[in-house]
Amino acid sequence: MSDDPYKVLGVKKDATAEEIQKAYRSLAKKLHPDLNPSNKQAEEQFKVVSAAYDLLSDPQKRARFDRGEIDASGQERPQHRFYRDFADTAEHPYASSEGFSDFAEENLFSDLFRRDGHINIKMRGQDVHYRLPIEFLEAINGAIRRITLSDGSTVDVTIPAGARDGQLLRLAGKGGVGIGGGPPGDAFVEINVKPHPYFRRKGDDIHVELPVSLGEAVLGGKIAVPTTSGTVTMTVPKNSNTGTVLRLRGKGILRPDGTRGDEYITLRVVLPEAPDPELEAFVSRWGAGKEHNPRRAMEA
Amino acid sequence: MLDIEEFVVRAELTSDVVETWIEAGWLRPRRSERGAAFSAIDIARAQLIRDLKEDLGVNDEGIPIILDLVDQMHGLRRALRELCESVGVQPTDLKQRILAEVRRRRPILPNSSRADQSS
Repeated sequence: MSDDPYKVLGVKKDATAEEIQKAYRSLAKKLHPDLNPSNKQAEEQFKVVSAAYDLLSDPQKRARFDRGEIDASGQERPQHRFYRDFADTAEHPYASSEGFSDFAEENLFSDLFRRDGHINIKMRGQDVHYRLPIEFLEAINGAIRRITLSDGSTVDVTIPAGARDGQLLRLAGKGGVGIGGGPPGDAFVEINVKPHPYFRRKGDDIHVELPVSLGEAVLGGKIAVPTTSGTVTMTVPKNSNTGTVLRLRGKGILRPDGTRGDEYITLRVVLPEAPDPELEAFVSRWGAGKEHNPRRAMEA
Repeated sequence: MLDIEEFVVRAELTSDVVETWIEAGWLRPRRSERGAAFSAIDIARAQLIRDLKEDLGVNDEGIPIILDLVDQMHGLRRALRELCESVGVQPTDLKQRILAEVRRRRPILPNSSRADQSS
């Protein structure tokens, strides 16, 4: 540190006090370690410059130096720690995260690095539950239903084909509002499937009890059968009794893998609604009919 | 922790000046039963304020602006360093992907616009 202080500051030997101060300020602004935290050389250079200024800004010391009584060494300021040396102190009372508080696009950075002492209460909003009654066929075939949420907004809920009674549909972010910038909760919609007048669901299959006339039961033939996806034609074999179960393959419920369950049709033979003289006459003449005892197994 | 008398000696200031700086919010010592309690950080900050005022000719209006910016810069530098360190411990391919993405976002500056590093 024995550089000529005049050279260090870049002033002439006969510089005035103002010139010396001006020269020092312009160097110090450039070199002050706290204004150059990433520049390691700045600290050494700043010390040299400061020492030179200490010497030349004191008229007595400057005069002694000019007379050669003292040299430039030993005039360094006492060792001091710069403010920047504390920048990484864990409990820094002046620490500021304002420099990135607006990096909110992802919330990631500002949340991650925020370390101000404020207790930041940040909570996810509450989940809200709703109950949505739907028709049997809506559940089987899928549907879109518009529902009104508790905050008055509406949302279109997609009911997947094959939805089950009690199934929960999650509407992400449609629950309660988050606290302190926390994410909103979710809405859960519980599906309540109303019963159908004649279709019943068992697993992935549809069961239906199908009335057939005496003629259809005895002689067989093509009949129209309701399915959950519309009416189809099915052949009833000759002599089909009540309780006969017929299967319509692939007319059941859509499975997640794209296959479908079946529809099972249980026949129920139904007599004409009004008494029919011709039928009565026939049955009274029908010998084999009198021999037939369907209750034989019941020992009645 | 230093009380105000010790602090005044170590920071080479008068107690009037220290009181003024506390009032202005430039210094924020902790509060204890015995009054203000100063740390080594406060000494260094006081030294910075003194350098700014006495050596660099910054006026009283400029001091809080500079202090605030310096504190913000420290926070940014720290966050950036932590981020760099966190990236640094990632597997090489992930590291490369992140660095490539950072590079992609940075325009290539001509040499003339680099910061002047001459001393």
